[in-house]
Amino acid sequence: MEAINWHGFFFLFFAIVACAFAMAVVVADNIVRMACYLVVSLGAVAGLYFLAQAEFLGAVQLMVYVGGTMVLLVFGVMLTARGPLASMRTGGGQWIMAAIAGGALLAMLLQAAFSVSDWAAPKTIQEQAAVEGSPSARLGLGLMGVRVDQLEQPNLMLRRGMSGHLLAFEIISVHLVVVLVGAAYLARAKRRLDHKQAKDDQRP
Amino acid sequence: MNLLAQPVGLPHYLVVSAILFVCGVVCMATKRNMLGVLMGIELVLNGANLNFVAFGSPMLRAGPSDGLGLDGQLIALFVIVLAAAEAAVALAIALNFYHTHATVDVDRGEELKG
Amino acid sequence: MELSETLPLLLGLAWLLPLASFVLIVFFGPRMGRGGYYAAYLATAAIMASFALSVVALAGWLAAHPLTAAAHGAHAAAASAAVSGDWYSLGEFGPLRITIGYYIDSLTLAMFCMVTLVASCIHVYSFGYMHGELSDVIDTLAPLANGQPVRRRGRFCRFFQYLSLFCFSMLGLVVAGNVAMVFVFWELVGICSYLLIGFWHERKSASNAANKAFIVNRVGDFGMIIGLMVLWTGMGTFSFGDYQTVNAKGDTVTKPGIFSQVRPGPNHRLQVPNGMVKMAARREIEKIAAHAPTINGDLPLRRASAAMMTWAAVKKWRAQGYGYGLLVVAGLGIFCGCVGKSAQFPLHVWLPDAMEGPTPVSALIHAATMVAAGVYLVGRFYPVFTPEVLLVIACVGCITLFLAATIALTATDIKRVLAYSTVSQLGFMMLALGLGGWLAGMFHLLTHAFFKSLLFLCSGSVIHSCGTNEMPRMGGLRKKMPYTATTMLIGCLAIAGAGLPGTVVGLSGFFSKDYIVAQDLSFWGANPRLGGPLYCAALIGAGMTAFYMFRLWYMTFAGQPRDEAVHHHAHESPRGMTVPLMILALLAVVAAWNVPGTNFGIEPLLTQAQPAGTAEGLAHGRMWPNVTVPAEHLSHSPAIHARAEWAAFGTALLGFLLATVLYGLRKWDPEDVRRTFAPLHRFLVHKWWFDELYALVFVRPVLRLSGWVAILDKQGLDWLADNSARAVAAVARLDDWIDRIFVDAPVNLTARWTYAFALRLRVLQTGNIRQYVLWLAAGAVALFVLMSLYWNYAVAGI
Repeated sequence: MEAINWHGFFFLFFAIVACAFAMAVVVADNIVRMACYLVVSLGAVAGLYFLAQAEFLGAVQLMVYVGGTMVLLVFGVMLTARGPLASMRTGGGQWIMAAIAGGALLAMLLQAAFSVSDWAAPKTIQEQAAVEGSPSARLGLGLMGVRVDQLEQPNLMLRRGMSGHLLAFEIISVHLVVVLVGAAYLARAKRRLDHKQAKDDQRP
Repeated sequence: MNLLAQPVGLPHYLVVSAILFVCGVVCMATKRNMLGVLMGIELVLNGANLNFVAFGSPMLRAGPSDGLGLDGQLIALFVIVLAAAEAAVALAIALNFYHTHATVDVDRGEELKG
Repeated sequence: MELSETLPLLLGLAWLLPLASFVLIVFFGPRMGRGGYYAAYLATAAIMASFALSVVALAGWLAAHPLTAAAHGAHAAAASAAVSGDWYSLGEFGPLRITIGYYIDSLTLAMFCMVTLVASCIHVYSFGYMHGELSDVIDTLAPLANGQPVRRRGRFCRFFQYLSLFCFSMLGLVVAGNVAMVFVFWELVGICSYLLIGFWHERKSASNAANKAFIVNRVGDFGMIIGLMVLWTGMGTFSFGDYQTVNAKGDTVTKPGIFSQVRPGPNHRLQVPNGMVKMAARREIEKIAAHAPTINGDLPLRRASAAMMTWAAVKKWRAQGYGYGLLVVAGLGIFCGCVGKSAQFPLHVWLPDAMEGPTPVSALIHAATMVAAGVYLVGRFYPVFTPEVLLVIACVGCITLFLAATIALTATDIKRVLAYSTVSQLGFMMLALGLGGWLAGMFHLLTHAFFKSLLFLCSGSVIHSCGTNEMPRMGGLRKKMPYTATTMLIGCLAIAGAGLPGTVVGLSGFFSKDYIVAQDLSFWGANPRLGGPLYCAALIGAGMTAFYMFRLWYMTFAGQPRDEAVHHHAHESPRGMTVPLMILALLAVVAAWNVPGTNFGIEPLLTQAQPAGTAEGLAHGRMWPNVTVPAEHLSHSPAIHARAEWAAFGTALLGFLLATVLYGLRKWDPEDVRRTFAPLHRFLVHKWWFDELYALVFVRPVLRLSGWVAILDKQGLDWLADNSARAVAAVARLDDWIDRIFVDAPVNLTARWTYAFALRLRVLQTGNIRQYVLWLAAGAVALFVLMSLYWNYAVAGI
């Protein structure tokens, strides 16, 4: 027996966890259980990020997605938890249609994934080249406008075109502010339950 | 197992992201609870993110092209941030919906029915 | 003031007073007293005032133009003095001047006095005669559709209104200074006649008679208009006398009137006027104008030289006879109008029917004045007539007098007898005028007015008292109506021409008829072949006149009453009706006498008015060169005059004796005579079948033609109109169908399809979010498949 490819082993582990719990999210009926399964799935995805040498991103995934977005979703679940939660089932016919559509999509994607020869995995295990520098440092510098991985580009023109992502960073920040303000407005407290009254409130 | 012996390449990641993506789509298509739909959206986004990260990973690079490099991770970073923003807005919409319809059943939101 | 100013003023006022009366009665008549009684006073006052003014005017004239004794055997003097001018100019259209003008000579004044005097008497008479119109009238001769007699309001004031209008029209005709004005008033008297004949228009007979009178007059007027047209184009003016105009340079020039153009001074011989010559010689004038010498083609000079050559050639052309035919046509045209107005053959049929009007109307209009207007116009136009025209006039008059006298022999309606008598006497006048006896004709006109109106008023008196017109139902009325009987006897004697020949003792008709017969004899002498029948006819006519007039008198007043009811009811007329009778009777006696000790009388007055140049007679007309119209004074020579006197007296006496034997003494039975001459009698009773002939020749073809035209209109035109309307409607329906099927349908169909499609598409909008997601996924798959199939990209790798 050859040496276990621990990289591969952990990849498989995290991949199966992510996929299984994703499928559990689909299958589950109870919304709270769905939320829990999703949390686990997203955590597994963070692990996959780590394995792909995107440590910073994995950390961000855990912090923002799992710690933030999912908490948000759970809050939402709790806020809308009145009323009949369990009786919302979809009919079998719809399941089948969804399954067909999903199956077709999956087939297409898999087919595409395996069709490009450039993407094929190397035949032998080889030492993965160590990455110079920490990825987070490179990310940070890139966000501030410095493309660390393209510093050696001899062509001046190409180098000029490769600016950093400072602008995108700024835009995203502003965007976040706007979105959060908007979301706060949208979800402000109003009198509820009377459709007509609700519509009246919605008029500016 | 073969997979364990073989080195992990791009296709593996692509398969996982495809599965996540499809699960997300099916979840969006079948869940009647609006928050379930939102969860499906999260799954989709994660699948796409994984794709980006896979293509930007130096380890999985093969061939003459260098892949996305740092861009892949950056894109994934932005996507995460935007996904969070979008989740906030989506939740606000869901709460609004809940206020007006007294339920989160997506099937009740048929006002646009022609 | 100058005579030329006073005369127009006086006569103009006399003319307009009846018009003022007419206007006032039109507006205020019904309000003047009960039933409009005082309207009659107004009308009578107006006409009496007119008479007074006429007398004053006559006196003024006589002061300026003293009368000389009637000149027997001497040539008539120079041109008659006439006052002519214009009161008001209505418009000048180039050379055409339409004016209201006057032409006043002693004939005008005599006519004025006669018309106003007779009209005054008749106005007074009408007070009594039309008394029945003061209250509601039940007219038994006018049945309604259900057989009941009509009941209507009285029309007393309207009668006088029409009478005033008539007097205005008649006086206007007499005073008129130009032919256009004559024509206007000609028609106006025709209208008044129509209104008055149809006064009792609820009676079908009366309204038919009114129509007949007007239409027959119109036929005559047609000829008159032709004559007027020829006169206008030939002479360039309508005016009788000379008139003044302002020419282009601003000077006042005197232009010649009609009389001066046909009989220019100094000898006043008849000649074709320049205008007519030029009209007839148009071709010659064109030739001259084409060949006139010029200098270098100078146009005005050429025109001037052409004009000079034309003027020089006019005399030559006149001698060659150019334009003579036009003059004849002008004369005949004017005479045509007179034929209609004076009821000459063949347009005499209206006058007997005109007796449907009230008797005062018959007396005024159809005896004394309107029918005399025709004779008056012939007298006025005398200078224009050529010998041919005069002969035609004479022949027409002769036929008329004979025809009417024969019909009067057998008529039984008292007014019909008098109507035919009027026609016959008018024939006498025309005969006289045609034979050259201007004085005789005009004299008879004036005397006839008096005794004929007297006769009519007497008959009216009889009708008023008996209630019937039919003589066979009368008889023996002289004891019951002495005044009427006496005055009527005087009238009959006057019309028969009673008098002692060889002396100056005689009634008015004696003298005037003698002049006519004398002129006839003179004509016979001048024209041996033509004159014979004319003379004999005149004498026979005179005899018949005496016969039927006395027949009338005997049947009405003498003998035993034939109808007791009528006789019982008969009564003398009131004073208001008998006094005019007496006045007129007096006039009928003395009209022909000169006022003793002076020269004033009708005859000298008329002699003054004789148109210049006409007293010498006419001869050698171009078309009939053998006709000689003798000078009138020749007939006054003792030889001719005495023979004529005795001849006329003889025939009249014969007639009188025959009438006395048949109707007075009843020696012979008229019925027996009638049986013997039955076919002749029937022929005469049916008025020579003239009415039937006219109905056959004129009325029925017109009715048939109008029937055809009506059919054409109803079937043809109406059918066309209706069916074209239907065709249009059908086309409209077709268009509608096309529009609906081919235009609307596609549009509607498109709209429906769009809607149906949209309805079906609606299904896609389920509002179901989850389904949308599925579609998204399916779409992504499909897109990818398509891409991979058609886009040769390494990613697909299929």
